[in-house]
Amino acid sequence: MSSAPSTDADARSARWRAGVGRAAAGTALLAAVALLPWLSGTDPALTVLRARSADQDPTPAQLAAVREQLGLDEGPLRHLATWLGGLPYGDAGTSWVSGEPVLPQVAAALAVSVTLMFGAFVVTIVVAALVSARTLYLGSRRRLRQGRAGTGAAAVAALPKFLLASLLATLFGVWLGWFPSSGWEGPGSMVLPALALGVPSGAMIGGLLDQALPATLNEPWVRTWHGFGFPPGYLARHALRRTLAGVLPQLLPTVVALVGGAVAVEKIFNIPGLGRLALDAAVAQDLPPLQTATLVLVLLGVAAGLLIQAVRRALLGPALRDGALPALHAPALSRSRSTRWAAGCCALALLTLVVAGLLRDPLQVDTAARLLPPSAAHPLGTDALGRDLLARLGHGAVRTAGVAVAVTAVSTLIGLLLATAGKVSAGLTEVMSTLPAVLVGLLTTAVTGPSVWGAAGAVCVVGWTPYAAQAAALLEQERASGHLHASISLGAGPAHLLRRHLLPAVLPAVLRNALLRLPTTVLVLASLGFLGLGEQPPTPEWGRLLLENQPYAELAPWTVLGPACALVLLSVLAVAGVASGRRAALPG
Amino acid sequence: MRTTFRSLLAALAVTPLLAGCFATGDSGSSPDGQAGRLRVALAVPPVQALSPYSNDATVLSKLSVAEGLTALGKDGAATPALASSWTRRNATTWVFELRKATFQDGSQVTAESVVNALDHANAAKTKPRVLSDVTLTAQAEDADTVTISTKSPDPVLPLRLASPALAILATKAYATDGTVSPVGTGTGPFAITKLTGKTAATLDRFDGYWGGRAKASGIDVTWIADGTARANALRSGEVDIAEWIPTAQAKLLDQATRHEVPSVRTDSLVLNTGSGIFADPSLRAAAREAVDGSALVDSVFGGYADPAQGLFGPAVSWAADKRVAVTGRATAATPAQVGSKTNGRTVRLATYTNRAELPEAATVLQQQLEKAGFRVRQDVREYTQMEADLLAGRYDALVFSRVTLLDTGDAVAYLASDFTSNGVYNIAGLKDAKVDQAIATAAKEGDTAKRQQEIMRAEAEILRTDAVVPLVHEKVVQGISTDVEGVLLDPRERSLIDVDTHLK
Repeated sequence: MSSAPSTDADARSARWRAGVGRAAAGTALLAAVALLPWLSGTDPALTVLRARSADQDPTPAQLAAVREQLGLDEGPLRHLATWLGGLPYGDAGTSWVSGEPVLPQVAAALAVSVTLMFGAFVVTIVVAALVSARTLYLGSRRRLRQGRAGTGAAAVAALPKFLLASLLATLFGVWLGWFPSSGWEGPGSMVLPALALGVPSGAMIGGLLDQALPATLNEPWVRTWHGFGFPPGYLARHALRRTLAGVLPQLLPTVVALVGGAVAVEKIFNIPGLGRLALDAAVAQDLPPLQTATLVLVLLGVAAGLLIQAVRRALLGPALRDGALPALHAPALSRSRSTRWAAGCCALALLTLVVAGLLRDPLQVDTAARLLPPSAAHPLGTDALGRDLLARLGHGAVRTAGVAVAVTAVSTLIGLLLATAGKVSAGLTEVMSTLPAVLVGLLTTAVTGPSVWGAAGAVCVVGWTPYAAQAAALLEQERASGHLHASISLGAGPAHLLRRHLLPAVLPAVLRNALLRLPTTVLVLASLGFLGLGEQPPTPEWGRLLLENQPYAELAPWTVLGPACALVLLSVLAVAGVASGRRAALPG
Repeated sequence: MRTTFRSLLAALAVTPLLAGCFATGDSGSSPDGQAGRLRVALAVPPVQALSPYSNDATVLSKLSVAEGLTALGKDGAATPALASSWTRRNATTWVFELRKATFQDGSQVTAESVVNALDHANAAKTKPRVLSDVTLTAQAEDADTVTISTKSPDPVLPLRLASPALAILATKAYATDGTVSPVGTGTGPFAITKLTGKTAATLDRFDGYWGGRAKASGIDVTWIADGTARANALRSGEVDIAEWIPTAQAKLLDQATRHEVPSVRTDSLVLNTGSGIFADPSLRAAAREAVDGSALVDSVFGGYADPAQGLFGPAVSWAADKRVAVTGRATAATPAQVGSKTNGRTVRLATYTNRAELPEAATVLQQQLEKAGFRVRQDVREYTQMEADLLAGRYDALVFSRVTLLDTGDAVAYLASDFTSNGVYNIAGLKDAKVDQAIATAAKEGDTAKRQQEIMRAEAEILRTDAVVPLVHEKVVQGISTDVEGVLLDPRERSLIDVDTHLK
């Protein structure tokens, strides 16, 4: 582990290693995708036939005809070779289902998805700016006395995107008629989906920024510049520049990943994007489009990763290279009482919910009591089968929170480990972070078959990327700091450095990121249900509650409000709880 | 550094301009100003560029783009289409007289073009379903007479020819590589002029249609796979017609725009007779007595279904009068017997997510089965994720939604593939000599009324085995704006818009 790449040779070898990481990760991924039908054991002839015609009888003769037509007997390697061979000539093969050339389809879908992603990016920036505006404003005037736990941002970040999408489509598309409720026919079509995708992302990024800013604003140079009478706007800009460098890598798994990972929102708004194309191809085991979409996502991830890296270097500049960054240490700001209150209230509300829910039967179907609004008998109402929502929330709480926390913990750990592994992992992070969880879910089912652990495993496989990206960025900054160099000159070994300097600098930020992403994890876990991964119905689980009640969102809003509020409570509790816990641990 | 910041800001400022990059563009869809065009939201996006040999075939008949030699009448009998009349010369040979008609590309419909179209259907890789159990040879007798012969006698040949998969397209539709393009090559009152990927299509009126000029000047089709989005598009006035509104959304629609049609789709509980718990007839009988499909009608289906009367519901108009009482069923095991016979084994109850109502129905059924003493575990996945398992019999019970009148409009095809010993879609694993015989008898019968009677006899035989427990007959909700008149409400979901459909 080189402490700071200070020479050109070091830099070159680092770049080389990162390139190897990218190539290796990309190749492994493409190979896994190319093997999908052979791994899954599900005959691709059957899935292709089914995708072409829902009523077609799967007779042996028909399946043989499909197999012969597609050349399935030649095996996966031959296919991969043919596909790769065509790529240099701009030929990505023809779809097994439609028989049409793949490249135009994928290119069109990519254009749509990237446009939508830019829209979501703009919204993300606006929301993130709003979230962190107060801290920046007060901090640049050196009036920041009270820290914030960021419960508001956590609440917004916990909003499920598909729910927000349904809500926006109904409100602005159907009721008010301001924007098209679906379709992709002009800039107007972009507003609602961009909002649905961008608002939670913005709250997430903004929350991270808001928590990182006080440390920057506490640095000596800010005090000096303030003393010199530099205008606050100037101070704010430079503080932002310094802080953004640590937050920017989050854009990759949060915003760029939306190109392939916005399937639910694409469906609700009927957007012909890359996410849906990849999912349809994956379900039909239609390899040429699936491989092409995967390749495009990998390239996109790498390109975005390089771009972000370049912007970071531009932002931090020579300080990063020369190891002259001051360490970021958060000031001991007093926390407002409201944080503890928020944590207390959320804990109480959740506890009440769980205890009250556990006393009731979550599986009792009563078709006569369908979609009843909240009442004394059913405090949170009933769902479409007349099951008590309070009972379902209560019974689902432990399982949902348990699995989500476990998955997040494992992901965080993997992320931290890979981040300390240095440059090789940077490529892996870029390759994996744009990969939709559904695709990994399919590969997982192919290997493990439908199982309870499959979902958790699949999410762990992709879930670590935000933490790895963040930790790597923070580690790089920390390694470039002056006090680390001082420690090294004083003879500190790698273990000491890791324990005393690197981990303390990285952990709080990564932990916060993990907590903000807890609700997303719950929803991603549930979204794999259609592959047979995870708990099977009718077991109550919060993510599934949201998904199965989504069609009733307008007819019976309480069916989704309950689970959504529970998720928000969980998220706020986690964020506020850890914030007050940390404060209690701080001396003074 | 500052320059980087500025360039970053500049890049952000440019992003709205990128919004011009819309893949579909709006050049295809016509402005509302163009009078008389219908805007339709269809549910199933095209999979093979509207090839008649795929799922997409129904689009061609729904929107009156292409026609076959015959069409299906309301009563389920064949009616004239491109063929004005036909006669059965002998057991295996039929003669069809063509009417004077023009393809949308200007060429004439001749016996040659009909033979060409049918030959291509015959030679298609993965044969269309309608031809799976028959081999037909078409020959041009003269310019407007076609003889069609089959290897074995086929009493339902005219019904078969009504299938959208056997639509007659102009010669230029058939490419040498085996693909078929209906764009501008049909004979119907509307011609496809543009197909935009899987999202949209533009159809214009074809003025040379033999049946007269269509009242609507064209159709703008959008494919919206998500049911909620389809309902939203209708409610916000973005489309005039939205097919297949999910039952969960139906109540949100204005009463005047909600039209329910009994469908030929029957949802049933299929029990695996081949292996596992339900190989025991008394346990199948216990399951049959335990489940009550009528409990699903008002709950899961929100009233948009009829309690099951048999395999064939009210959409099959002749079924009710000819129904045969089921006799000779096994005696149901009591809950205590169920406990001892299952001996701790769990029923693996499978269903799929593709139809939103099925998982809900499965949960209701689970409770009903548990009351009868069964222990039940659900297995719910996307259909393609589980089809191989279903065909291999790796489950005990399946909540299944099935179209009972397939391509041919003839119920025998469904019974033969699903319930005969060598049926390719025999998910129940049923091997029953009496059932096989009853279905074979029905298949041989040429007279329509007698055939229907035989079909109902076969239904009774199948129900006797308890291999399948019918639950409900689905109803389809079509969303139709009050501005539109003349939309066809077809139980077989094969027609929607024809010459008379128009905006008020």
